[in-house]
Amino acid sequence: MPMQRPLSPFMFPTWYRFQITSALSILHRLTGIALAVGSILLTWWLVAVAAGGELFAATHSFIRSPVGTVLLFLWSVAFFYHLCNGIRHLAWDAGYGFELRSAYRGGYIVIAGALLLTVLTWAYVFLG
Amino acid sequence: MSDTRSLANLTALRDGSVLGRVRHLGSAHSGLREWRLQRLTALALIPLGVYFAASMVRLATSGRMTAAQCLSSPVSALLVILMLLAGLAHMLAGLRSVFLDYVHTRARLVLANLLLRAATAILAGASVLAVLKLFLGR
Repeated sequence: MPMQRPLSPFMFPTWYRFQITSALSILHRLTGIALAVGSILLTWWLVAVAAGGELFAATHSFIRSPVGTVLLFLWSVAFFYHLCNGIRHLAWDAGYGFELRSAYRGGYIVIAGALLLTVLTWAYVFLG
Repeated sequence: MSDTRSLANLTALRDGSVLGRVRHLGSAHSGLREWRLQRLTALALIPLGVYFAASMVRLATSGRMTAAQCLSSPVSALLVILMLLAGLAHMLAGLRSVFLDYVHTRARLVLANLLLRAATAILAGASVLAVLKLFLGR
């Protein structure tokens, strides 16, 4: 039995024109879903470290391979974006930053913050 | 002047009494508890997540001994377990809200939520067990 309410996605293709605020909102969900998939890989990695032996060797060489490194890099981008935009959401939940100007400014800060944290993390990985 | 609080103080994140006033309201008649769990785990995940990302991305690219050594220390084992539990609870709430938006029949929604809960329980059990093994087996 279909539910008796408007069903998503009913607004986007028809009624909405592209705006950075809505794009960032969708990106928050997409990165959240990506991080959920990442939690499977994280569990796999922890189990492999605990198990050791061949499982760890195979996991380790996958992570160090170009595909594994790109996945880890994308995971870090998704993580830091979701973290920064999550803080923006918490500010909204606490009642701050609803004005249009603040919503846009916060959005640009989130993009800059996510890029900065990603760069800092990978600088730490390669140089630290 | 009976109520001097601003509207900003009336969100459920700041004011516990909101729970009593809005319970059973809204189109779904429930969900504030899950809403709040999602926010509280989000707050916890700010420090835990920054710690985790900084150390784990580095560990993942290092050899096994480094990762095993790190997780055998009580502080990092504790922080990683807290991160896993808060993260997976946050994931569960987030994916449930995604399902609610995109899974459009009751039967499929129930099934999707059951599978999601089972998968989350397996991930939580397996990952915490792995950290415990590394911590206890030092």
